[in-house]
Amino acid sequence: MALPVLICDDSILARKQVRKSLPESFDAEFQTAGNGLEALSILRSQEIGLVFLDLTMPELDGIGVLEAIKAESIDCFVIVISADIQPEMKKRVMELGALAFIHKPVNEEKLHSILKQYGLI
Amino acid sequence: MSTLGFSEEQRDCLQEIINVAMGLASDKLARFLNTFVHLQVPSIALVGASHIPAEFENRYQDTEAALVSQGFFGNEGVRGEAIVLYQMENAHKISALLGYEVGDVSEIEMLTDISSILTTTFLNGLADQIENSLSYSAPRVLSSVKGDMSALLKNTSFHWEHALKVDISYQLIDHSFNCDMILLIPGEAVTNIQRILDRILEDY
Repeated sequence: MALPVLICDDSILARKQVRKSLPESFDAEFQTAGNGLEALSILRSQEIGLVFLDLTMPELDGIGVLEAIKAESIDCFVIVISADIQPEMKKRVMELGALAFIHKPVNEEKLHSILKQYGLI
Repeated sequence: MSTLGFSEEQRDCLQEIINVAMGLASDKLARFLNTFVHLQVPSIALVGASHIPAEFENRYQDTEAALVSQGFFGNEGVRGEAIVLYQMENAHKISALLGYEVGDVSEIEMLTDISSILTTTFLNGLADQIENSLSYSAPRVLSSVKGDMSALLKNTSFHWEHALKVDISYQLIDHSFNCDMILLIPGEAVTNIQRILDRILEDY
């Protein structure tokens, strides 16, 4: 069965880059969100298995989304894909329960190995 | 930016490339200052270079300021001059953070270092993403007393046709620190940039 996946990034290019970096064998149904608030409204109303989440976004940033997911016990995997690559940021993201922290521009091999590690492909 | 004919897709693409490059530069800056930098999305705009003095006049008018300039050149006609503008008041905060005496001669060296980190890391990050590589000239520092920033900017920007303004605002943990980065580029570079952006967009 196709996995419901949400790609959340304010950049159209970045959303396409994520999509293109996924392996063909990845059976998913995609939705997109342009900021954290849009992402939360989807996450609150639908079952989403996996979120690709940007950090620096207008309205509500990725940290805000992670905090809400944690506070509301929303059940989904989150992989953060970020231009903000400071070690401190990675630490915060991992403490908030993200599966992984990937630097932008997204590295295909790294993404595949994470998906494999968690049995998503 | 729409004034110079970037499509919405091209603008989105350039913004994302700049965000990624800025992330690399912030990481370097955070390591240099040994602190955490709160990263904001830089606002970008492409304007005629002749408008640059007027654009920055207000912000730098009644304050001591410094301008650090560094030339860059790469393949495919990508070349220009990167300038970083600081209000000295902001620079003093960084000096204090790094343990310099305010007004110390080495404060200028510190600004040169920070500018170099910002511009070369930023531009290398940008170049990597468009599969280019850049060389740089040595940075040049021009200090300004109150009121003459406009003249300095005029002298620096008059050889160039266009300017890509990147407003950088850094929030350090206990301090806020703002500076402006301006990339001055020749007229043909805009067409080159559009071609490069279109090539990237075709891939997706």
